Amino acid sequence: MAAVKQVAATIRLTVNAGGARPAPPVGPALGQYRLNLMAFCKDFNARTQKYKPDTPMSVKITAYKDNSFEFIVKTPAVSWFLKKAAGIESGSSRPGHIEASTVTVKHVYEIAKIKQTDPYLQYLSLESISKSIVATAKSMGIKVVYEL
Amino acid sequence: MSAAARCWCCCSHRHSSLFRSLHCHLQKTQVFSSSIISNRSVKPNFRSYVTNLSDGGRQRQMGIYHPVQWKKKRGRMWFSTNSSVMREREDSYVSVEIRCQKHVVDAFSEALLCFGASSASVESIQCDDDDGDEIFISLIYTIGKDVHQSIIHAVDSIGLKSTPSYKISVNKPYNWLKNVEESFHPIEVSNGLWIVPQWRSPPDPEATNIILNPGMAFGTGEHPTTLLCLLLLSDGGLLKGGESVLDYGTGSGVLGIAALKLGASSVVGVDIDPEAISSAQKNMMSNKIQANQMELYLGSRRVTTAHFLSEDDLSLIGKKGKFDVILANILLKPLIELAEEIVSYGKPGAIIGLSGILTEQLPQIQQCYSRYLERMTVSQMDGWACIVGTKKKLSCLV
Repeated sequence: MAAVKQVAATIRLTVNAGGARPAPPVGPALGQYRLNLMAFCKDFNARTQKYKPDTPMSVKITAYKDNSFEFIVKTPAVSWFLKKAAGIESGSSRPGHIEASTVTVKHVYEIAKIKQTDPYLQYLSLESISKSIVATAKSMGIKVVYEL
Repeated sequence: MSAAARCWCCCSHRHSSLFRSLHCHLQKTQVFSSSIISNRSVKPNFRSYVTNLSDGGRQRQMGIYHPVQWKKKRGRMWFSTNSSVMREREDSYVSVEIRCQKHVVDAFSEALLCFGASSASVESIQCDDDDGDEIFISLIYTIGKDVHQSIIHAVDSIGLKSTPSYKISVNKPYNWLKNVEESFHPIEVSNGLWIVPQWRSPPDPEATNIILNPGMAFGTGEHPTTLLCLLLLSDGGLLKGGESVLDYGTGSGVLGIAALKLGASSVVGVDIDPEAISSAQKNMMSNKIQANQMELYLGSRRVTTAHFLSEDDLSLIGKKGKFDVILANILLKPLIELAEEIVSYGKPGAIIGLSGILTEQLPQIQQCYSRYLERMTVSQMDGWACIVGTKKKLSCLV
C-alpha cells in the first residue's frame, strides 16, 4: 500500500497560458517550498498550449513534503470570459445601476461549454453553469440579451 | 572628460560636450530601461532614463540593454546603476502575510487572487494543531499594485466581518533562486555521461561531465524531455563524430554542450530569450568550450564580441541547409509554427529530433512534420515524447 504523501502547502497562482517563467510570481511562490521550477514551467506551458497566449489561467499546486508536487490547471475565470465577450476592460463601477455592456445567450452557452471542461465543474449540468454565468454577469453590470 | 566627445550612439558626430552626446543618444533611442538617480545639478530633461551607451548601438538594435554605472568626473551627478540593481528592481515583489480563519481560507485565497494577488500560498496544518482557529496566507503581489484595496475588495466579496491584520515586505528574488538550486543533484544520463550542477563535485571524475548552472534558463538535465534528447545523442547513434549540430531553443545550452562533448565538431545554439543566451555563455565557460566551437544566436543575430565578422556571418539565415543534426526541445505550438523554418536548416538526410511535447500532442506533430521527415521514430518517458526523423531528400523541398 502506497504511503499517503504529506502535504506541505497549497499554492494558488494566476499565470498566463504558455507564459510560465521562473521569474515572479511563479518563482518565489514555488521556490520557497523548494519545488522544481523548471519542471513546473515546462509542464504548465505544454498543457496550456491549446489556449491563446496571455489567457490568465488559474493553477492550484499541491506541494508535498518530499519536494514533489501536483497541479491542476483550471479554465480562466468567468468574469474574464465575460469581459472578453462583451469587449470591455473592466466591469461596471455601479453594477445594477450602470450597465457596462451586453452579451448574448450564445456567448453564455459558449462560455458554459468551456467551463464544463473544468475539473471541478464537470458534474454540473450545462443549464446550471449557464445560470451561474448569468448571475456573475449581473454582478458585473453586464446585461444578457435573450436573442442570438 | 574631454570637451569634444564622440557621440555614443551610432551616428558619427562629434559633440561639443558629453551632455550633448548623451542628449543626442537619448533622442534617438526610443526605449529606456532604467531610471537615473540625479541631484540638483542635473537639468530636468535629463532626469529620465538611460540605455546602454556602448557597442556602437549594436546591442540596442538587438534589444539588449545593460545599464552601466557612469560617473561624471566633475560634479556630483551620476547615472543609474549597474545591471544587478536594475534586475532587482524588475524582479522584486511584495510579499504579504495575512491571517484568517481556517474555514474561510479557500474562499479568501480565491477572492484575493481575483482582486490582484499574483499568488496565494497556504501552509498545510496538522489536524491536531492546537494553536487556535487562525491560519496564515502568504501572498505575492507585483510592485505597484495597491495591496490594501485588493484586500478590502476580497474581504467584502466573501463577507468577512472585519479586515484581518497583515504584514507587508518587499523582497528581492535571489533568496528563492538559492533555495531551488539546492535541490539539483548530479544526474547520470547514461553510462559515462553525467550532468553536474556547478556547485557540486562530479561523482565520477573520469566520465564525461557537463557542468551546468542554468540560472533562469531551462535545461537542468532533470526534465524527461532533456533526458530523451540527451539519450538520443549518447545512445541513439546520432553522433558518429564531426557533425554540425543546431540546438533550436537552447535554454541553458545543455544539449549543445553535450553534443560537443560526445563528438560533434561544431554547434549552433539559438534562443529568443536573452537570459537563455547569457546562461548558455556561462555554461560554455564552465565546460571550457571555445567560442568557435559553439556559436550562440539571439533570434537570428549572432551574440559575439568579435568585431571583424561580416553581416553574413552574423545572421543565422546564412546557415540554412548546413546542419547534420537538429535538436528542437521547445513546445507544441512553436514546433508547429516553425516547422518549415526548423527543417530548412538541415542538409537533405539530416537527422531532426523534436521534443517538449506531451504524449497526447504526438499525433499533431507527426501530422505536421510528415511532410518534411521520413522514418520517424518515437521515444517516450513519463508522459513526454520525443520524435526523431530524417529530412526528406526530395529536390522540391529546400
